Amino acid sequence: MYVLIIGCSESGYHLSKALIAGGHEVVVVEKNPERFQLLNEEMGSVALLGNGTDETTLKQAGISRADVVVSLTGADATNLVISQMAKHIFKVARTMALIKDPKNEPIFHEIGVDVVVNSTHLVLASLEEGVPGRPLIHLMNLRVPGMELVSISIPGDSNIISKRLGEIELPPNSFIALIIKKTGATLATGRSIVEPDDELVAVTPAGNEQILYDILTGV
Amino acid sequence: MRVLIFGCNRLSTSLVADLAKDDNHITVLGTERNCLESLAALNGVRVVLTSEPMMQDYLQEGGIDHSDVFLAMSFDDHQNILVAQIAKYIFNVPKVVCHLGSPQLQVMYAGLGLDVVGYSFGLMQDVRQAIQE
Repeated sequence: MYVLIIGCSESGYHLSKALIAGGHEVVVVEKNPERFQLLNEEMGSVALLGNGTDETTLKQAGISRADVVVSLTGADATNLVISQMAKHIFKVARTMALIKDPKNEPIFHEIGVDVVVNSTHLVLASLEEGVPGRPLIHLMNLRVPGMELVSISIPGDSNIISKRLGEIELPPNSFIALIIKKTGATLATGRSIVEPDDELVAVTPAGNEQILYDILTGV
Repeated sequence: MRVLIFGCNRLSTSLVADLAKDDNHITVLGTERNCLESLAALNGVRVVLTSEPMMQDYLQEGGIDHSDVFLAMSFDDHQNILVAQIAKYIFNVPKVVCHLGSPQLQVMYAGLGLDVVGYSFGLMQDVRQAIQE
């Protein structure tokens, strides 16, 4: 696979090294001469000095034959422009972009960026996973604006223990998709019975997340 | 009309002066404090001082959900492209106009259906004409 990366922050650097190790062809476009120099010394012709929003630079990087273009610059707006250039001028099959402001995610999906990586969301998810006492984890935002996939672990004293899922009244547009038990994951049905330490994977509108959490973990 | 303008500079200042004559409700969002202060003195003009990381919140504070017209007039092409498309596709503002300085970007976004304005096209033609004369 040929992967073109625009913007070589630290994540761009580690990503390109991992991709090269995995046998992929990689070019990294970096506009900062000092950072380019470092990359060039370590990885040689993988690094290309230039502005990733400039058509000439992108052509030089062979963008038309790229399987994926990954935009990792520090500005959401610039990553949006690069993704749209890749898609509309150079007909690249897949685009991927990094964003910092979670509120920008819907517009990136709307204009057709295939994979949107929300750095704030990732940190938040790891934080929630690592901090005990709040067993609600954001897994991802769905393409439908405002809907998200969350995972909630059920404490032993929750009043839904031993109940069937069908008996539990959920907030509007929220539903349970999976039950993860120590023995493995099963599709949730109305007859599934909740046990202590189960993890429920649910789809919910962001605004109902707290209500859902309270219903599932309430004492 | 309710007009929301993104960017405070000589372009938007002239626009505001012109639009304010027709009894429009104008809100200007920008990071340029002095420019905003000079506009705030005008009748019917509201200003909101912004900073980039909280852009979306400021768009809502500026009343984007009930604006009739959105004008992305900053001198930062990428920011204009981002906010103009948010206005058009997320908030469904009926009329969105985007200022772009780069001829490459002007061609692409006009092709994608944005109403693009910018002087470089006309300028290039003018220069060519001046040479030929």
